[in-house]
Amino acid sequence: MGFDPAFALSCVPTILSAIGTTLLVAAVSCFGAATIGFLFEMARRIGGIAGMASGFAIDFIRSTPVLIWLYFLYFVLPFYGIRLGSMTVGIMGLSLYYSGYLAEVFKAGIDAIPKGQPEAARALSLSRRDTVIYVIAPQMMRNIAAPLGNYFVSILKATPYLAVLAVPDMLGRAFDIASETYRYAEPLVVAGLIFLALALLISYGVKRLERRLLAGGTR
Amino acid sequence: MLAQSDPIVGIQGLNKWFGALHVLNDIDLTVASGARVVVCGPSGSGKSTLIRCINGLESYQEGVLRLAGTTLGHKARETAAACRQTGMVFQSFNLFPHLTVLGNCTLALRRVAGKTRSEAEDIAMAHLEKVRIPEKARSYPGQLSGGQQQRVAIARALCLNPRIMLFDEPTSALDPEMIKEVLDVMVALARDGMTMVCVTHEMGFAREVADEVVFMDGGSILDRAPARDFFSASGHPRSRLFLETILRH
Repeated sequence: MGFDPAFALSCVPTILSAIGTTLLVAAVSCFGAATIGFLFEMARRIGGIAGMASGFAIDFIRSTPVLIWLYFLYFVLPFYGIRLGSMTVGIMGLSLYYSGYLAEVFKAGIDAIPKGQPEAARALSLSRRDTVIYVIAPQMMRNIAAPLGNYFVSILKATPYLAVLAVPDMLGRAFDIASETYRYAEPLVVAGLIFLALALLISYGVKRLERRLLAGGTR
Repeated sequence: MLAQSDPIVGIQGLNKWFGALHVLNDIDLTVASGARVVVCGPSGSGKSTLIRCINGLESYQEGVLRLAGTTLGHKARETAAACRQTGMVFQSFNLFPHLTVLGNCTLALRRVAGKTRSEAEDIAMAHLEKVRIPEKARSYPGQLSGGQQQRVAIARALCLNPRIMLFDEPTSALDPEMIKEVLDVMVALARDGMTMVCVTHEMGFAREVADEVVFMDGGSILDRAPARDFFSASGHPRSRLFLETILRH
């Protein structure tokens, strides 16, 4: 069975029709993972019971397979009367799973900020909240743009996991074609190439963002 | 209300430990409004810790530290309000690298003093004029020399209109040729009547503007004298020795 370029080309519209789903899931999951991860890290820094709980949650999440999270949310939650759509479950699963990793990225980004920065903010009487928003977070972003971008690419590449929940993403469409035609090479190659293009696009965007964040040099 | 003649800083029996290390040992110090106090001494003598206590960056375990009529460390809200009367300049500048010079100066004006952007920028520009660097308002700290950065840091601290300025070795991280431009700004500030507590080894500056020189060693104040006496032969033997060592260079 050879590779038929004409057939591959004919797969493109069908697979591309699911790019919206893939991008939506990826974008919302990136946002969700970053938000939850940042809150986890803030809680961990506050310490006390919230800090311990948060530290445990981060380690727990990072030490379990993402598929278990997806299956758990999808099959076990309904037993407790929580019924969610498969796409919602998928986004929740990816957000939670990657929040653990992003919390670690945020930690490294904050640890790299010199102690004098929060001190200067305190000497200027800025509140804790304003210090985080106007002093810590922007400098953290400069430090973590590159690893954050890598995780965003990882999240994009993890969206096909949602096939187990029957979310109609690009890989799902590719499999639909394969099971109808018994040809696997072409649809899989097309789906793979589209993912590659998207990943390269994100990397390029992150590089540009990093350059903008570093405007004016470091210090 | 605080009368003009009341001291802005009143410290009695102040003690502080870092673990087992006794970093401040029975400190008594009064800073009158309008006074200019220079604190000197060898490194590790506790002088930085002392002025960091005055604006609440460090806590203390024993004694009383009154700032602008409030005892620091008792009630959080009152302590914060009192500390707002201070401005601080650090050895390593500590400008916010992601903000422009103007952004550095306006942040606290907008977030703490509640000014609008244009009000804050007007105030900030006035202070940048005062430290003679208004043309760099749109630059980032990383694009400035050390001396320029420290002058911006002084302007930033002045923006909130503090009643007392604290300087923590403001020229120690600077190349020799940049020290003068920073000291000139500080001298001008002193001439304007600003109350200042300055940790420095710049004895020329101390001689020119200080009313009082405080010499610290091992967490204690060993010598405390009006500037003209401190530099005469009558001082404490330990401070004489210190002066001879640093003036020899």
